[in-house]
Amino acid sequence: MNFNTDYKELYNNFPSGYFCSLPNGTIVDSNKKFLNLTGYTREELIGEKKFTDFLSLGEKIYFENIYSVALKLSGTIEEINFNFIKKDGTKFPVLINSVEIKDKEGLHLFTQSSVFNISQRKKYEQELLTAKKKANDLSNELIDVNKELLSRAELILKQKLQLEEVNQHLENKNRQLTSFAHIASHDLRAPVGNLLLLKNFYKESTDLEDKAMLFSKVETVIDNLNGTLNELIETVKIQGNKDITHDPIIFDFVFDKTLVILETQILDSKAVVTSNFSEAPNIEYPKLYMESIMLNLLSNSIRYRSPNRIAEIHFCTAVNNNEIMLIAKDNGLGIDLQKHGPKLFGLNNTFHRHPDSKGVGLFMTKTQIEAVGGSITVESEVDKGSTFKIILKKNI
Amino acid sequence: MLKKIIARNNITMHGTGSKSMFLVHGYGCDQNMWRFIIPQLKDEYKIILIDLVGSGKSDENSYDLDKYSSLDGYADDIIEICDALNLEDICLVGHSVSAMIGLLTAIKRPSLFKKLIMICPSPRYINSEDYFGGFSQNDIDNLMETLDSNYLGWSSAMAPVIMGNADRPELAAELEESFCQNNPEIARHFAKVTFLGDNRSDLKKLTTDTLIIQSNTDAIASIKVGQFVHDNIADSKLVVLETTGHCPHLSDPNQTVEAMKQYLT
Repeated sequence: MNFNTDYKELYNNFPSGYFCSLPNGTIVDSNKKFLNLTGYTREELIGEKKFTDFLSLGEKIYFENIYSVALKLSGTIEEINFNFIKKDGTKFPVLINSVEIKDKEGLHLFTQSSVFNISQRKKYEQELLTAKKKANDLSNELIDVNKELLSRAELILKQKLQLEEVNQHLENKNRQLTSFAHIASHDLRAPVGNLLLLKNFYKESTDLEDKAMLFSKVETVIDNLNGTLNELIETVKIQGNKDITHDPIIFDFVFDKTLVILETQILDSKAVVTSNFSEAPNIEYPKLYMESIMLNLLSNSIRYRSPNRIAEIHFCTAVNNNEIMLIAKDNGLGIDLQKHGPKLFGLNNTFHRHPDSKGVGLFMTKTQIEAVGGSITVESEVDKGSTFKIILKKNI
Repeated sequence: MLKKIIARNNITMHGTGSKSMFLVHGYGCDQNMWRFIIPQLKDEYKIILIDLVGSGKSDENSYDLDKYSSLDGYADDIIEICDALNLEDICLVGHSVSAMIGLLTAIKRPSLFKKLIMICPSPRYINSEDYFGGFSQNDIDNLMETLDSNYLGWSSAMAPVIMGNADRPELAAELEESFCQNNPEIARHFAKVTFLGDNRSDLKKLTTDTLIIQSNTDAIASIKVGQFVHDNIADSKLVVLETTGHCPHLSDPNQTVEAMKQYLT
């Protein structure tokens, strides 16, 4: 079969619209498909209509500012989407490719444009756009939900930390209570057992002189028991004290006050007491605790001095890793830490066969220090001396 | 500072003349739109071309939504550029929206100006009871839809280039050759600022000698609008060219240059 290309036929029956316009936009030719698409007759279109007649006002702005500028500058433009207005006023979406036809001198003669009806594709595109918008909305929603979740997680984490803190506090309290109960029961049982025994002796005894002697022993035990009870009550007060007020403290002042209180003991013992608080001259701390801590440490050092040498006792402050420390050093009897270490700060533990040993001071000192969030440690060697190191506070 | 400004507005200089001519493109495109008239001006003038921030090859990162939510932001840029380049006695040529940017610049700093040339200006696009701008709010919404539908392919293909992705040089080359491809977000914002703005009351504040060039057929700025601009600027002259479209410097560069030269001599 012979295939003779009839270009006019091909042009007219071309399955997409085609038109040719002058530089001023007037349409000077079109194929049948374009007439079909727009609903105009050839007579109504050719020489009568301009490209922009098919556009809405908003699209004309796009046409003038972008479409024709880009076409002018590059000579061709592709895939521009307009909604063409048909003769009956209805619209249909098109994609347009345009090319400028110029003469040899570069003078612009015509613009040729092909027009593709994209009604079906546009619907699909709309669906895609709607779906995309929906997806975007959902995504934004998810982002919001995620933000909400993150902020809640943060809150939960915060609460968890608070709970952990509370828990830690409770555990401490619990430990204190357990230890306290243990100490209390242990320390109260011995004198009470003693009392029971004395009571039995007293009942069985017929001798008046014996009875008087037994009763005076009972008195002594009751006095001791009373002393122990008072100490226990004091420590309960310290442990139960939640909101301890912190006062501005100058170490020198508190220490001087302590020296005055213990003046007799210091004079009697001939101890040499020195101090240097220049590294940390002051601190915010509960005043009563500080007085009690210094008093206990100093009186302990005096009480447990070595009979073989002149007692030298030195108090000072130090700053280490943002912590203010109070250090009390003596050259006294020292403590066998191997033997007594674990019980050192317990109630009613004494480590010296010393006539004055009462053994409540360190327990209370430790309780006071811990109530403010500090800690106490000791380094000691028998017959060389002891050094108590107290971390008072961490917030400097 | 100068370097930063040059990069921000993609400033280019052309010509060997002694007098300064500062050309500012309108909405939708960039300084390329002057290329048909430059050859006829460059012997007589030192020509300064810029891309408005957000258009062409300007530094997109400088596009500040607040600053450019009114045309004043662009006017400030032009004053800054003139100061940085030590320009004075300029003839500023502004097309379309940039005619209004030129107007604001000349009101802010009249001393910079010798002449102002407005090509197809419109101080207000939206009609009101006693004013014909040619458009309604609806038409501008329609423009927004058209902008959107013609950026469908843009977003995915061009985004990497715009975002400075150097891995795909072929895209950059494509962008290099394509005109009027601006970031869709910015294009939308700039369109709103341009087509919803109202500078009618500024016209009377202008003291600079002004030429208004119109096309006899312009769907964007009609003769009526050109006449309004002319009536409201004291020292102004109106020239209507026998050409079609909103860009006479593209559709009929010869006539446009002729009108400019006649006015300037």
